[in-house]
Amino acid sequence: MSTCSDCKSFFPREDEPGKGDCVRRVVDPRQAYYTTKPKNPEDDASGCGEFQKR
Amino acid sequence: MTAEPAKLDVSLQEHEENQEWWWIAEKKRSKRLDYLRKAVWKKGALGGNYAPGIKVDLEGPKLFTDMWNFWKFDPIIMRRAKALAHVFDNISIFITDHSQIVGYWGSAPHTISWRVDGASIVNEELYNEPGIMPEPEEESLRKVAEINDYWAGQTAVDKVARILDPEDAVKFLSGAIGWGAPTSAYGYSGKNYEYYLKGERGFEDIIADIEDHIAEAEEKTIGTPGPDILHIYDRIQNWEAMITVLEAAIRFANRYARLARTMAEHLETDEKRKEELLRIAETCERVPAKAPRNLQESFQMDMLIQTMCRFEASEGAWPARPDYYHGPFYEKDVLQDKTLTEEEATDLIGEFMIRAYEVGGFGPRWAREGMQGITGTWVWTIGGVKPDGSDACNALTTAFLRTARLIRVSNPTFAFRWHPKVSDEVMRECFECIRHGLGYPSFRHDPILVANCMNWHGHPVEEARTWVHQACMSPCPTTKNGVQPFRMASATANCAKMVEYALHNGYDHVVGMQMGPQTGDARTFTDFEQLFDAWTRQMQWLLSLLVRTVNLGRYKDAEFYGRPLLSGITERAVERGIDAVNPEGERGNCWITGFTWVENADSLAAVKKLVFDDKKYTMDQLITALESNWDGYEQMRLDFVNKAPKWGNDDDYVDDIMLRCLRTLAKHSRVMRCTSNNTWPISPQNVSGNIHYSSVVGALPNGRRLGDALYDGGISPGPGLDKKGPTAVLKSCGKIDHVGDGRAFLLNQRLSPTQMAGEKGYQLWRAYMRTWADLGLDHIQFNMVSDKTLRAAQKDPEKYQEVIVRVAGYSAHFVDISRKTQDNIIQRTVQGI
Ligand code: SF4
Repeated sequence: MSTCSDCKSFFPREDEPGKGDCVRRVVDPRQAYYTTKPKNPEDDASGCGEFQKR
Repeated sequence: MTAEPAKLDVSLQEHEENQEWWWIAEKKRSKRLDYLRKAVWKKGALGGNYAPGIKVDLEGPKLFTDMWNFWKFDPIIMRRAKALAHVFDNISIFITDHSQIVGYWGSAPHTISWRVDGASIVNEELYNEPGIMPEPEEESLRKVAEINDYWAGQTAVDKVARILDPEDAVKFLSGAIGWGAPTSAYGYSGKNYEYYLKGERGFEDIIADIEDHIAEAEEKTIGTPGPDILHIYDRIQNWEAMITVLEAAIRFANRYARLARTMAEHLETDEKRKEELLRIAETCERVPAKAPRNLQESFQMDMLIQTMCRFEASEGAWPARPDYYHGPFYEKDVLQDKTLTEEEATDLIGEFMIRAYEVGGFGPRWAREGMQGITGTWVWTIGGVKPDGSDACNALTTAFLRTARLIRVSNPTFAFRWHPKVSDEVMRECFECIRHGLGYPSFRHDPILVANCMNWHGHPVEEARTWVHQACMSPCPTTKNGVQPFRMASATANCAKMVEYALHNGYDHVVGMQMGPQTGDARTFTDFEQLFDAWTRQMQWLLSLLVRTVNLGRYKDAEFYGRPLLSGITERAVERGIDAVNPEGERGNCWITGFTWVENADSLAAVKKLVFDDKKYTMDQLITALESNWDGYEQMRLDFVNKAPKWGNDDDYVDDIMLRCLRTLAKHSRVMRCTSNNTWPISPQNVSGNIHYSSVVGALPNGRRLGDALYDGGISPGPGLDKKGPTAVLKSCGKIDHVGDGRAFLLNQRLSPTQMAGEKGYQLWRAYMRTWADLGLDHIQFNMVSDKTLRAAQKDPEKYQEVIVRVAGYSAHFVDISRKTQDNIIQRTVQGI
């Protein structure tokens, strides 16, 4: 099973081991931006359509 | 829908001749500002509907609800604090390309936030709005249903409704006499800027203060037992809730810092952008935890706090005084240390306004129709005086005015505190904004409004001089005991109902219900005094009902809702350990917003003239004609329009009636008391309620039919009815005592762009403004867009996406307001000076 830690978008937090951020690029019809939300490294990535193998 | 781009082959001069200011702005602003300005998703509803692509944010409501439920055994205030902290820690955040300031009230740029715990009746409206559910729609609807089921019956308004007098509740909810909701969940929160935005204090300092208060309080609770220490337990809860949220707020800012660092270190290749991202990271590591040191940090702190407060409650206004509080940093960075060039500072100022412009939350249809094209009244106050009475204008005042012309947003707008010491340079910059068709700044008479604050609410002069617009119009100090932590929109009266009910024995023919008191069959009235007496009783009844509702909501709000974050930035709450919405120690700053006010004076004058003085018609004929909505009585209707004097023509016949109405009301304003035992003055103005209420107010003796737009201003004459020129308008309005008759009075004026062109135009306008000031009016605002442009925009909206007009207390893009509102603006008299 793939987890978030296997994904290119996952960035572990240096100051908080065991935690990380899912940082992704989004280009919508008006603007381009980076978005982030918290993720744990062991979170299941199988249902995530955005998963990209590291 | 995107605006047509600026035409490269057309020179600036040509654009200027054609008064196409929006294209001049597009050509002159920096690439960064151009990108950011066009990147904004418009959240203001177009007429009443959201723009394509706008989606309600379900991430925040889900996070909040989950944690609210998880902590269900905690006291309410801690539950709210922990749920809010959970949102700050987990909601998706983003940083837009080219941006330097961060913070948004939602999980993505195209989302509108949804306040789940405010009112079930608002929550239910989500189902009726086509297109706003995120894809897949079915799954989103299921999620909304789950959240709605959870909150049904336990929102703040549900709780207030259970203890309201049932008759008051039914009449209030009829939608005929008022709007809004009696809870701070949808309030207009004044901010205690003197406490937290002077560059002296960060959240870590406030947390340290609170910890001291808790330690002292705990000391007392383990001391000698007695009833005098029992209230301290509640206060400790409030303090702990404040700390919980303030700490979460620091973490929220740090999440932006971490994202910016990740982008700079791993994802960005452009060296210049990397530097900018690292600056964002340093800024968000600094504020709001610590006091800001420079302009970027100062703007960022302000922006984050405003955004975070919106996660706590759907704030419908954005009181601010940006030049005053951020000005010292601008002067230090740009003029003294020269660490920022003027162009770099312009980018920051412009982005600060753009970030505010993009903020928007889900609003029910009545709110969207009443404030078309905007998401709330972000009226920012500039100019004015310092607490010692000296001129407060600084280099940032003019920088804001210049930047506004480059970015041309409709929200925020500026309101300028004019006083006799304002320099010509500043006046010219204000005029340029008006000439460029922005509709802002509006002008506020500082000495009059300072006196007004002192008169109605007893604010000491040094505090009154700090005033900002709490919403569109009403001045409110930013001090510890002067600031009003929230004002409820539900103290908004549909005033035309006063005369309507006086003529129909309190019966509302539109909603089919006995609303007001039975003040007698108007067909039997034999003189004007009987009618005026009926009007007075209807007025007192209507206002008392609204104020009763609002007072109860305010009194119970700390218990039913409560705002730990707002409390944490409010000195009075931090010091006492109370919730900011608890009125304890607050001086009070209430007002009733009076929609559709001027119809009263014109209607009463028309009855007096044509029925009682000239005896051309009988009361019986009049009531029959009104009950028929003037159908079959056109000649009679025209007589009531043309043969009765109308407000705004310097005619004492009707002006005296206006003054009598205002003064009779002002007397009642001093009888009704707010939760701080202070007064309830009226502030006549409309936002776009004159259109929203057009189908709710029946036929009136001023000749209006059910469905016709109501007058647009608070004291503006009816469109086309001011026939004696601009000086006569000012003279009529100047008869009002703008200190003692009410809180503030909105006056719209339209000026001719051709006449206002060039230096001559400026000098003419200056002379006009001198008359305005000499007559002591508290407010004036201008539309200066030609009929030709407005009609062209109606025909070809895509080409005129950026045309801005002044609606009432706010500006909007012309294409975003309904056809009826557009027509109403075109109908306004263009005053030749
Ligand atoms: S949530 Fe999806 S995109 Fe984000 S880190 Fe996990 S697998 Fe990758």
